[in-house]
Amino acid sequence: MKIRTKLPIVFTAPTMAALAVLAFVPTIDAINIALQNRDLSNPDSLYVGFANFRALIDDPRFLNSVSVSVAWEILTVAATMLVAVPLAILLFETTPPAVRNGLCVLFIVPALLPRVSAAFVWRFAFHPLFGLAVYPLRLITGQPIDLLANPHTAMFTVAIVDVWQWGLLFAVIVVKLLETLPRQPFEAAKLDHARTWEIYAYIAIPMLQAPLISLVFVKMVESLRAFDLIYVMTRGGPGIATETLDMYAFSQGFIESGRISYASSMAVLMMAATTIAFTVLWRWARRWRET
Amino acid sequence: MARNVSKTIGRGVVAIAALLVIIPLFWTLLSAFKNRVDIVTPTPMLFFTPTLDNVLYVLERESVRAGLINSIIVSGCSVLIGAIFGLPCAYAVARYPMRVADDIQFFVLSLRFLPPVAIAIPLIVIWLDVGLYDSRIALIVTYSLLTLSTTIWLAIPAFKRVPQEIEEAAFVDGYGPYAIFFLIALPAAAKSLIGAIVFSFVLVWNEFLIALMLTTSDAKTLPIVASEMTQLGRDVPWGILNASVILLSLPPLLFLGVLSSFLSSALKTRKQG
Repeated sequence: MKIRTKLPIVFTAPTMAALAVLAFVPTIDAINIALQNRDLSNPDSLYVGFANFRALIDDPRFLNSVSVSVAWEILTVAATMLVAVPLAILLFETTPPAVRNGLCVLFIVPALLPRVSAAFVWRFAFHPLFGLAVYPLRLITGQPIDLLANPHTAMFTVAIVDVWQWGLLFAVIVVKLLETLPRQPFEAAKLDHARTWEIYAYIAIPMLQAPLISLVFVKMVESLRAFDLIYVMTRGGPGIATETLDMYAFSQGFIESGRISYASSMAVLMMAATTIAFTVLWRWARRWRET
Repeated sequence: MARNVSKTIGRGVVAIAALLVIIPLFWTLLSAFKNRVDIVTPTPMLFFTPTLDNVLYVLERESVRAGLINSIIVSGCSVLIGAIFGLPCAYAVARYPMRVADDIQFFVLSLRFLPPVAIAIPLIVIWLDVGLYDSRIALIVTYSLLTLSTTIWLAIPAFKRVPQEIEEAAFVDGYGPYAIFFLIALPAAAKSLIGAIVFSFVLVWNEFLIALMLTTSDAKTLPIVASEMTQLGRDVPWGILNASVILLSLPPLLFLGVLSSFLSSALKTRKQG
């Protein structure tokens, strides 16, 4: 259909202009603030060049938060996929369609909950004295166990909640993807006496390679913003054992010292890292689609 | 025989996963109706005398009411802005050949990838300078970035799924391009579009970090108020906290049906398209 109309301009231009303002004003200002020595309590500020970035390199707490973020990223992405794919296969193999659809609705529930709610539900369940989740441990050992106050277990405990929300949601997505696959390759493999796990390892999962990889990307981005969960469950503690980058930037810029310029330099680094990663992934995904 | 055994084990694992969803939520619901003495027990109590105290306390608190009103206004307005400006934009990208269509999609999706803390920190300074810090307007404008990008991203495939022949037939019948959008495309894609809009609502209703950093008292949203319940006294008032968790979680859960069928249809057509 060929119509001469200004509709595309009328419909896109105002929205894109608004989005551009909303997105670029904060990002450019983030860079601007990062180059100053601005303090929340003091409106006067000077340009100090890259002093904030130089200070970051020598800040052990910043380096700690980078390694905590990397550990969190690897732990939650891996755990989410390791829960989602096997659970989806089990759902697909062992439950009749009606039950499966019901369970799929149920498994979406945790992801719909506000992260604050999910964090409180589990903080309550992990309470050392009367938490339901640690009750069996309490029975066996006879003493209260505070998983969130122990630097060795705190991150794993928070990660459980993250996987509770995302692993189950992804399991539902993978089930729906399995349902769209054609049946013939499966039946052919069964005739050849392939075992169930072989069918999935060599046929189903390779067929779903592209969507599974995009799920990994989605989770990588999502794991970067686990702030709410960590804020409610541990506040970065015990000590700085679960202090991720965004948690540290928040406490530098907001709670402890109001060093907004210093926090902003961290924000700029995070933005640069995600923008580069995203651009590379986008190019890569497009090539994937075209082949 | 072996096949049956492994099937039973598989079902067992699935059942455990289901229980892991149900039990914590059910326990939270129960504890919202428990007196303090029934919560603070070394052995978990399943049977107890229920009380409405926690729920009433939460509903009667001034901060909760203010937070509820703020949350409703802020998410309502930003979702509306996202729909009014996002849907036409998505339609134009989906239907009209534009040289920049790909760039628009890239830009919109990249916004979803920006770390919220990176936006929130400069916005503290910007809103302080303009004098709108801790106001609903500041939050609505900031959230519009989220709702616009989400709505556009999800609505593009929804419009593409509308069969082009319907719109061509309408064109032959003398409909103009704008009439085709409002009278044909919008109603035809309505179901998926509602899913997209609801999704953007859940996103801003649940949003925490930006609200935490951009509000201090007047414009606090419900998640912030709920997170502050732990600071009520020396002991964490778990009954009250559980009641506020329930209140906070109800709106997104109301849309469980809409979102779950949105997810199914989005994934189904993905394969054919």
